[in-house]
Amino acid sequence: MPRGCCVMKRSWRGVILLSIVLFLNILFTQKAVHQFFYENYAATITYATLNVLLFPIAWIIYKREKEVE
Amino acid sequence: MSKKDNDSIPFDENNYTHNIDRNRERRLDRRGFMKTMVGAAGLFAVSTLPWGGIAAKELMGWGKRSYPVQRLADVSSLHVGDSLEFHYPNEHVSALLVKTGENEYHAYQNACTHLLCPVFYSPEKEKLVCPCHKGYFDVKTGAPTAGPPRRPLPEISLEISGGAIYATGVLRYET
Repeated sequence: MPRGCCVMKRSWRGVILLSIVLFLNILFTQKAVHQFFYENYAATITYATLNVLLFPIAWIIYKREKEVE
Repeated sequence: MSKKDNDSIPFDENNYTHNIDRNRERRLDRRGFMKTMVGAAGLFAVSTLPWGGIAAKELMGWGKRSYPVQRLADVSSLHVGDSLEFHYPNEHVSALLVKTGENEYHAYQNACTHLLCPVFYSPEKEKLVCPCHKGYFDVKTGAPTAGPPRRPLPEISLEISGGAIYATGVLRYET
């Protein structure tokens, strides 16, 4: 939609996507810690990696969505 | 005081004296919220790094210590109920080998986990006993069963080969 057009509709897509990212963050952190205590170290590393990967994803979502009004 | 004085602002507000916009101060707009979310994602990412790091360390076996193999006794020299004191992994740590049955041996570092008194094996009670404060340990697991100690004795892994008993390592402390 072109800027300054007739209808200014706010996009909540970024907010929703980032909320999902944060939810996954909580999930992976929880999983990583639990699997650590169950001594499933491979699973712990997997979840920690997923958690780290979520950060650039969140960053990209923010970059894309911040200009959208 | 006139009404005019009360209603008017006595001096010009500028950015130096009134630099807080009270109405906008607490506003969290969409972009600010998204920024917070990205920051939170970063925080979560960083917070799981130590867990991943320690897990990797455990997986690679970097935390494992190496222990010497030490010959303790001949199988034929011990009878059921006998115990033998030795030092393992070095001369400063005393340990106890107990023959609990035919081909059944258990060995522990025998400093009581209460106040480090030497624990001995009592064949009548079939328990490891600490004489200082009457602490008792299960001879099969090393777990404390009575008295002040709360933690198990560190177990020493054994190997029997060629008619002799060898100490091969100290088991990792569990629970």
